[in-house]
Amino acid sequence: MKNKKLLMFWMIIALAIAAIVVIVKMPTKLGLDLVGGSRIVLEAQTTDTIAKITPDMMSSLQFAIENRVNALGVAETVVQQTGEKRLLVEIPNISDPAKAKEFLGETAELEFKKPLDNQYGATGWLPTGLTGKDVRKALISTNPGGQWVVALEFNDKGTKKFGELTQQLVGKPMAIFFNGELQSAPVIQEPILGGHAQISGGDSGFAYEEAKKMVDLLNAGALPVPAKIIEESLVGPTLGADSISKSKTAGVIGIGLVMIFMLLYYRLPGFIADIALIIYSLLVFAVFKIVPVTLTLAGIAGFILSIGMAVDANILIFERTKEELKAGRTLFTAINAGFDRAFTSIFDSNMTTIITCVILYFLGTSIVKGFALTLIIGVVISMFTAITVTKNFMHLLFGAGQLKHPGWFGIKQSEIGKAYEAKETKKEKAKFGILD
Amino acid sequence: MSETVLHQHKWIDVVKYRWVWFGLSLLLILPGFFAMGYLVLNSPQHMPVKVGIDFTGGTITQYSVKKDVANSEVASLRNNLTKAGIENPVIQVLKSNNTISKAENVEPSTVISVKTAFKSNDVTAEQKISDVVKADYPEAELVQVSSIGPSLGKELFINSMYALALAFLGIVVYLSFRFQVDYAVIALISLAHDALFVLGFFAILGIFFDVHIDALFITAVLTVIGFSNHDTIVVFDRIRENSRFLAKKASFPEIVNASVNQTLARSINTSLTTLITLLALYLFGGETTKDFVLAMIVGIAIGTYSSIFFASTLLDWWRERKDSQKGSASRQSEALKV
Repeated sequence: MKNKKLLMFWMIIALAIAAIVVIVKMPTKLGLDLVGGSRIVLEAQTTDTIAKITPDMMSSLQFAIENRVNALGVAETVVQQTGEKRLLVEIPNISDPAKAKEFLGETAELEFKKPLDNQYGATGWLPTGLTGKDVRKALISTNPGGQWVVALEFNDKGTKKFGELTQQLVGKPMAIFFNGELQSAPVIQEPILGGHAQISGGDSGFAYEEAKKMVDLLNAGALPVPAKIIEESLVGPTLGADSISKSKTAGVIGIGLVMIFMLLYYRLPGFIADIALIIYSLLVFAVFKIVPVTLTLAGIAGFILSIGMAVDANILIFERTKEELKAGRTLFTAINAGFDRAFTSIFDSNMTTIITCVILYFLGTSIVKGFALTLIIGVVISMFTAITVTKNFMHLLFGAGQLKHPGWFGIKQSEIGKAYEAKETKKEKAKFGILD
Repeated sequence: MSETVLHQHKWIDVVKYRWVWFGLSLLLILPGFFAMGYLVLNSPQHMPVKVGIDFTGGTITQYSVKKDVANSEVASLRNNLTKAGIENPVIQVLKSNNTISKAENVEPSTVISVKTAFKSNDVTAEQKISDVVKADYPEAELVQVSSIGPSLGKELFINSMYALALAFLGIVVYLSFRFQVDYAVIALISLAHDALFVLGFFAILGIFFDVHIDALFITAVLTVIGFSNHDTIVVFDRIRENSRFLAKKASFPEIVNASVNQTLARSINTSLTTLITLLALYLFGGETTKDFVLAMIVGIAIGTYSSIFFASTLLDWWRERKDSQKGSASRQSEALKV
């Protein structure tokens, strides 16, 4: 019996050491609300020509958006599909959020159009079938007038189409539309067969930023479907740093006060609960890093709340153990009965917490999901530390004799023997080790 | 032996004063109830609490300024924004007096928050706001932007309502399975009691301090429901256990009283430790989660009250009514004998 308990003890210690190793070795994944950054949700939009968003469209949309996000040159960006027609984009430490936003929502549709044959003086442009898809590469360049222009290099198909088109349009203008806006409409002097073209910004020319943006967008590729930003949250780096330091302070103060309370109220068992609480924190953080759980402000709140729930199990057990001791039980049976009788309460109440957390996890937004996940992990681990770990430590420390120092449990000698007593069934007696 | 069980540490006789507790519950819930009614009739969204951009859609842009901002400055800022073409900007000045962080010099002293309608891909609006704010406060620093599309807001709201309904359902099903159905129904009523109080509390905060609830608030309410249920289960579990041992020796009200008193220290201590951690979060934690933590503090306080005084007495009252319906005749004959 004793050997089994000692084995368990060393297993718990080994687990705690493993947790420390994990915590030291593995990086913590911090959410954007803690490191600062921009989080954007894009939703693919149906149009007249696109009636339904298919999974294929979504994966090519994701590809195009990934290209654009990469063009921003920021490390550790995330582009992931959420739901049927949404993309979540996360850009940490962003310096120019407005630029990113501008970048993501643009369809970047480049179109070459020819003039409508206007016998009746009507003006307008007809599609030619030559689009941004036929562009192999775009470069920023200057024209002889010193203005910024966008130089295009067509692919083979584009070169052929562009050649034919310019042949048809000699002496007539050809319009270049970007995102539905007319950029310029130069008059074609001669057929262009080399597969190179230039977009100038009309008479006023492009500003450098304008030309650069168009080049980046063209190189990243047009979006297969238009996408709209439906959610955006941006956290500045100072607020993130502030949140981290504040959460640390709150966490340390919170755990510290709870530990002091447990020690003062429950004495020696309280001390054991405090050690169990430290092991609890270690295990939870190790699991956070292994899963990995991205820590957000709400997630940290969930963790700190779970500390309250973790000690709750111990409070239930200790109150029960005290009652059993007052009833004149030996330490061994009192501890066993305390744990066993409190177990149904702990299990039922934790189950309902898990039920609500699972619901939150599946129905909530990402911020709510973070909270639910950390709380679930906390509740499950607390069942282990508050029950298995505490019980093991208590048995090893107190042994099996009569209670010699009631003060250790915060009860008076005079209280013993006058208290509550429940009748055990034979089975329970066997379980608690009661000898009549 | 049952003598000692039932009469030891009898601090409170919950059953005897049940009308006091029912009355107190009513007194606690009614003001919030009126506040919710007032908001349903008078607020633009016709919701029982003031709902934030998470549910209505909109954009909030926050700048930090390292000085105090007077009310007159807010008015001029609003004018300037309107002139720049920003429709109906709502400006709030948030002061932060967190001494600990101030010492570390990371805490912005004043935060100017500008709320506008949602602009999807329009970058110019953001630029305009930033230009106007920076014209008045050159050292202003962008702290936070959150922006939610109106359709997404609606979806979030509907999802939150589903989550609430599902949580209630899940708890009732689980409790009916583990306990009896009437325990489950009464646990549910006491959860509704707690949820109503928290909602009412925030309705009142909404009216007087313009506090708007967000998606996190729903999370807080759900957590409170879980936690309060936690407390109620502990008491009910004790009633169940005591009923098993004492059913023949003691009446149900006596068992309820004994169970409440036996679990009293636990109920109070657990709430205390949780409230300690929450208070630490409220006083020293991040700004963003303040209202969320406050909702939990209020909810856990009321949850502790309801599990000690409300749920148990309601269970007793319910059993008494059921018994009197079942056997009023036999009861009467018994009374005659006495």
